[in-house]
Amino acid sequence: MRTDLPRRLALLVGHNTTLRLRDPGHLISYLVMPMVLMLVFSPLYRAALPRGGEAQAVIGMLVMFSVLSLSVVGTALLTERTWRTWNRMRVTPVSVVEMLIGKALPVFVLLVVQQTILIVFGAQVVDMPVAGSFALILSAVCVWSFALLAIGVALAGVVRSHGELAAVCDVGALTVSALGGALTPIAMMPAWAQAVAPASPGYWAVTMLKAAVAGEADAVARAALVLVAVGAVAGVLACIRIGRGLKELQG
Amino acid sequence: MLEALGLVKGYGPVNALDDFTLAARPGEIVGLVGHNGAGKTTFANIVSGLLRPDGGRVLVDGKAPGAARRLLGLAPQHIALYPTVTPRETLRLFGGLQGLRRRELGRAVTEIAEALRITDFLDRRVGVLSGGQQRRVQAAAAMVHRPALLLLDEPTAGVDPETRQSLLEVVRDHARTGAAVVYTTHYLPELTDLGASIAVARHGRVIARGEAGELLHGLPGEVRLTFDDEEMRVPTTDPAATLATMLVEATKPVRSVDLSRPTLDDLYRAVVRAH
Repeated sequence: MRTDLPRRLALLVGHNTTLRLRDPGHLISYLVMPMVLMLVFSPLYRAALPRGGEAQAVIGMLVMFSVLSLSVVGTALLTERTWRTWNRMRVTPVSVVEMLIGKALPVFVLLVVQQTILIVFGAQVVDMPVAGSFALILSAVCVWSFALLAIGVALAGVVRSHGELAAVCDVGALTVSALGGALTPIAMMPAWAQAVAPASPGYWAVTMLKAAVAGEADAVARAALVLVAVGAVAGVLACIRIGRGLKELQG
Repeated sequence: MLEALGLVKGYGPVNALDDFTLAARPGEIVGLVGHNGAGKTTFANIVSGLLRPDGGRVLVDGKAPGAARRLLGLAPQHIALYPTVTPRETLRLFGGLQGLRRRELGRAVTEIAEALRITDFLDRRVGVLSGGQQRRVQAAAAMVHRPALLLLDEPTAGVDPETRQSLLEVVRDHARTGAAVVYTTHYLPELTDLGASIAVARHGRVIARGEAGELLHGLPGEVRLTFDDEEMRVPTTDPAATLATMLVEATKPVRSVDLSRPTLDDLYRAVVRAH
């Protein structure tokens, strides 16, 4: 059975990729809307920030809409419950860990693709200067996607309905983004907001992605460490919650 | 193939299963009947490893359910399918996860699709199919890998007679190949069509178990005589003798005679009344 593991994982990843691509509404809107907002807000940010206005417009919108994409992560898991397919899959030789990996990988790739497209759009259309290497930027995007994925899975383990998920994602995303400096540069925020900003993962995402675009590897590494830690904690919480949920299911 | 002994399962103060015992041999179709809440679905969920019993034990081919998933096929009571994929993708997914490889998988998908008459809508999305079509896809997904133990939980609920017949035919064929089948239903005539042995569940335990013929033996049938102005019905365990007596004693012309044997419905009612 163990030798079948790569085949089963490939099947699950292919299946979940199909599910995501057949329901692309959220992803398309979270790709198109930030592009429009980047174009609309970039003159404002350029005027307000003589240095780095374009980066603020691009990275700010990227972070805000990637946090909104948490709903895609949560929905991917929640629909399995509403469709009753989670239990159906458990009657196959697939383990829960395999099911989670099969779900997470396609969503992770989609998050990376979404952010990469937004950075390319920012560089080509909004004229954001890019000094960082492709590898550095991709690493930063992957770290942020990992943190988002872990937070999304943890959220999906807690919420009980699509309505709850939407509410948590919308309120959470705007709060995390706003406090993290995605909408307003940190230096321009009120003192109390500047003080609490580092508590928001959005702060570290904005810091890391701006540093990656600017080619500052040390700053990327520092922020990445924090985000990996956030992702790890969320991942552990998600595992605990899912494990408890399975025990409840089995009675 | 399936051995469940003294299963106990509670949900808070409610005992869903209370010393539930049932076995099924290879090639046997067991018709599991009982009113809502009798424990049929809880039993199916324990056998398929979705629920853990509070007491008792289940063995599938000598293994615990968790270690026997390759041997299992489950069509749950409620539709549990991905609405945005097609029946072909569904069957390829479940067949593949159960270990079928390329050519073997393709052949298995074609065979089960033809047997359950889903070929016409094999490439349409499941979400746009009718309830009956989705039921067929669900049954096909349970059977595509030809499991040694097949659990069908009310597979014909809400389906048309034609679909029902094709499903029963496939289940019979599947059992003929040596698989054990546990078939849960409220439509008792289906069990006659399947030639199933019967298990009647009530309040979380099996209260009657055996071949349909054995269980029906001794149950009263009915003799019905119709006259011009009235109808006479007499329950009897010896219809021929009763009819002869009734004809001899009849004082007016008999228009029609009807002898009916006891049915599984009668059996179910009698067993439930006795408990």
